[in-house]
Amino acid sequence: MLDAAKPAEHALHALYRDHGGWLEGWLRRRMGNAWDAADLRQDTFLRVLSSAQPLAELQEPRAYLLTVGKRLLSNFYTRRNLEQAYLDALANLPEACVPSAEERWLLLETLHALDELLAGLPPLVRRAFLWSQLEGLGYRDIAERLQVSERTVKRYMAQAYEHCLLVEL
Amino acid sequence: MTRQAPTSQAREVARAAARWLAMIESGEEGVDHAALQHWRDSHAEHEAAWQKAQQLRQRFASVPLSLGMATLDRPVLARRAVLKRALGVAALVPTAWLLGRELPLEVWRADLHTATGEQRRWTLVDGSTLQLNTDSAVDLDLKARRLELLRGEIFLRVAGSTPLAVRGPYGVITINRGEACIRLDERTCQASVLSGSVQLQPLRGPSVMLEAGQQVDLQASGAGPVSAFDVAQLGWRDGVLVAQNQPLADFLRELDRYRPGVLRWDSALEALRVTGSFRLDNTDRILALLAASLPLEVQMRTRYWVTLTPRKNIA
Repeated sequence: MLDAAKPAEHALHALYRDHGGWLEGWLRRRMGNAWDAADLRQDTFLRVLSSAQPLAELQEPRAYLLTVGKRLLSNFYTRRNLEQAYLDALANLPEACVPSAEERWLLLETLHALDELLAGLPPLVRRAFLWSQLEGLGYRDIAERLQVSERTVKRYMAQAYEHCLLVEL
Repeated sequence: MTRQAPTSQAREVARAAARWLAMIESGEEGVDHAALQHWRDSHAEHEAAWQKAQQLRQRFASVPLSLGMATLDRPVLARRAVLKRALGVAALVPTAWLLGRELPLEVWRADLHTATGEQRRWTLVDGSTLQLNTDSAVDLDLKARRLELLRGEIFLRVAGSTPLAVRGPYGVITINRGEACIRLDERTCQASVLSGSVQLQPLRGPSVMLEAGQQVDLQASGAGPVSAFDVAQLGWRDGVLVAQNQPLADFLRELDRYRPGVLRWDSALEALRVTGSFRLDNTDRILALLAASLPLEVQMRTRYWVTLTPRKNIA
């Protein structure tokens, strides 16, 4: 097992050595922040390490790194954006309802996981599903709010469930 | 959490489970519970998918409603902006002209604004429409049925039966199931009613009722006289600037609102007249059109420093 991993590890080292600095430079220009860029560079290589792609066969290593890096960058911003919305919502809560620091963190983790789970769903499907799951709204009420038929809502829900069930939790 | 291409069988199972879930939740009559039980029992993977769905529901149920909606149902705009920034597409989009695209705004409260030269249009949670013209800003609180106009110009179509109150520095404009444009300048807040009825309560003086086609200026001293207006004035809603034999100086003052930087002109030009419909998504082109149709020259030191002078006669 270890021996089989050797050539792959070697290829990763080469990739890191030859293109790591370039990737970080690209990320820094994009993010305007050296710390986050360095973190994301590490994350990118971690992701590359855990992927099934045989590195030695890469024709265009930089294009590949950029693909992985861009996806991580997108996640990074999505997460930050979610955190911002979360903090805003917390700030607007009445004092008595504000959860403890630990609860807040756990909740943020849950929200982030759910956000990732829902990523890629069409906006209306996503909203209908949230209304159903979070507000416990019935299909008829959702149909009314969205100005669509109940059949459509049912289709949205099936679509959302199917999407979520196919994502590994 | 990982995403891998699911096998066709996994997809099949997920789809079947999803259909059962939606059918049961929809509350429709005649759901065959025995058939569902049979489906679950017939294969370990079926039951696993079913259990997974139950876990999913519990996970959602553990999230407090207000926090969950505010974060997971945050505006599509914000989510899209994220993608754009990450992919570097933002730099390729010249100015954020979103004409013809109406974005749903899925929150009850929001601070919205546009940059110079930018226009945006949203459908609000209650079905109303809000459009911001160039360099405009509002605070929106739909729960309180209130909108604060801080800067610039807006178009508002209020759907439903609950009126919406627009607060400006010189009074409150209440729109009652109808459409109106409200424009805030340095000393004046102008309300133009396109449909429905609108009530104005100036800071001073009696309130005024406006019908479709009527316009009033609100100032610190109170409401001015009610007058009729030309709907072409409000062409910005469709991204056009319309001029009907308009003095060039007035036209340029309007145009200037949509351009970042400095736009100056020689006073000798002010008597010229302009007629036409000009697309606002490219104001450089509007200047070029003026130069082509009027005896004037456009001198661009940079895009942000433009001077219009009389054209020198070529002997």
